[in-house]
Amino acid sequence: MVNPETNKLVEVLLAGDHAAALAEARCLRTTGMSPERIVTEGLEAAMQRLDDKCTVESFNLLEIMLVGRAVSAVVNELYPEGVPPEHGRDTFVIATLEGDVHDLGKNIAKMVLIGKGYRVVDLGKDCPVETLVNAAEREHAHAVLVSGLITPVIPQVRKVRPALVERGLGGIKVVAGGAALKQSSAESLNVDYVAETAFDGARYLDSLVRGET
Amino acid sequence: MHEHSNGQSRMNSLERIKAAIAFAPVDRTPTVPQLFGHAAVLAGVALEDYLRDGGLLARCQIGALERYGHDVVFAFMDLCVETEAVGSVLQYRENQYPDVATYVLAPGGEVSALAVPDPAVAGRMPELLRAAGILRRELDDKVLVAGCVAGPMTLATQLLGIETALYLAADDPARFEKILDFSAAVAIRYGTAQIEAGVHLPIVFDPSASPAVVPPQFFRELLLPRLQRVFAAFRQAGALANWLNIAGPTETTLPYYPEAGADIANFDYYIEPQRAQQLLPHTCLDGNMKSLLFVEASPDEVAAAASRLVSAFADRGGFLLSSGCEIPPEAKPENIAAMVAACRGG
Repeated sequence: MVNPETNKLVEVLLAGDHAAALAEARCLRTTGMSPERIVTEGLEAAMQRLDDKCTVESFNLLEIMLVGRAVSAVVNELYPEGVPPEHGRDTFVIATLEGDVHDLGKNIAKMVLIGKGYRVVDLGKDCPVETLVNAAEREHAHAVLVSGLITPVIPQVRKVRPALVERGLGGIKVVAGGAALKQSSAESLNVDYVAETAFDGARYLDSLVRGET
Repeated sequence: MHEHSNGQSRMNSLERIKAAIAFAPVDRTPTVPQLFGHAAVLAGVALEDYLRDGGLLARCQIGALERYGHDVVFAFMDLCVETEAVGSVLQYRENQYPDVATYVLAPGGEVSALAVPDPAVAGRMPELLRAAGILRRELDDKVLVAGCVAGPMTLATQLLGIETALYLAADDPARFEKILDFSAAVAIRYGTAQIEAGVHLPIVFDPSASPAVVPPQFFRELLLPRLQRVFAAFRQAGALANWLNIAGPTETTLPYYPEAGADIANFDYYIEPQRAQQLLPHTCLDGNMKSLLFVEASPDEVAAAASRLVSAFADRGGFLLSSGCEIPPEAKPENIAAMVAACRGG
């Protein structure tokens, strides 16, 4: 459904034009539109359309990064101090685990989730499992997300759930994604879900937040 | 050809691969598992040493060949050799491939200030050339010696960092094209030096050219002309054939490979063998076993997957059995042996 007030923002976001997106977001703010509405009706709408497009065509990093950069520019404008927990739809903690220094996949997943209005705590790359568990507890995360490009990181991924359980956080879901991890299965990795793409992971998290999973 | 005691002729590995490229009959499907760092693990050698010492690399590759009996050796270190030779600073890690700590084209860096590296002296390139020479001499033209270069898109992303590279491609296409031209020039000089040093062909690895990274029109308009240039130069320098290896979901770009000048096209597990055959009816294909199978599956599962692939190409020919991407260094040796054994049955 097209919202005439935010339609232009959605279009420039999808075009990956970060400067125009920033200008349009500022313009909407001057008309009195709240940051929450800009996120919900602008950013989330754009991410939904990009998700639809990536389902039909192939998912490519270039296009997603350009939209992600525009989305990040708008989020940084609306929330210069970071998205406050009360404004985020929910909180996820994301990392590339120890032994893997490739963080592009993680960054893409983060962009998509921020674009959908979530609060994402990014622990970077080469991250120890303990740091991930500490952050999940501290941030009251609904799920922890781990991305891996290379296969040697798989043993670390398998440690995440036992580490959460040991800390009494067994209710926190674990989602894996990335070129190496998506060749495996949730059962083999000891996680709740293996995402084929960032959007696939985001759809799973949407259903989790809605209480459907 | 060589006569067996039973009177049947038996090809050596190089003859077998040449026949497959030409869609001619083969005594069995050639096997070309992408074994790079695994050769070091198999020999009990530290990966970092393997990646820096051409003599050691050659010994490990020959050791792996003797262990498994496949049909190719690789004079290949990692995809950071070129960017390091140009001036990027790498971080080496224990038992992992290195990654770039400082990109030579950091934001603001000008490609016009860079020089195409001389493979005789730059970075690890001389060691790689030494490995190529040893492999060619030791294997006496019976086994394919494959060199490897980073394709233009991959080197561009290794000079800038992938995120910076992709943003630059969108924001300043003219500047990005200059970097692609420089990258193609590096590939040509390095690959030509590999041919002179003894490889039968340099494989062009260009994972960043995958449709997972850039859309097909980007490949067609920006990358295809550079790949054509690289492959034309390799052919001119005497390459046995041109081999393009791009992992990932390449269904939309595979049809351009013949136009690029590729005689062998790698395809990954995302594409069914029948679909790859439809897309490239006259091009030798190599693929497409899942890399993770070699780490996690049983030898029986690997053998079954390999046999299915061999069967899928039995009528058509023009096939080299391989993995869709690198077989991870920590792969189980019994799984690689199972893959090769399955080929011997096919």
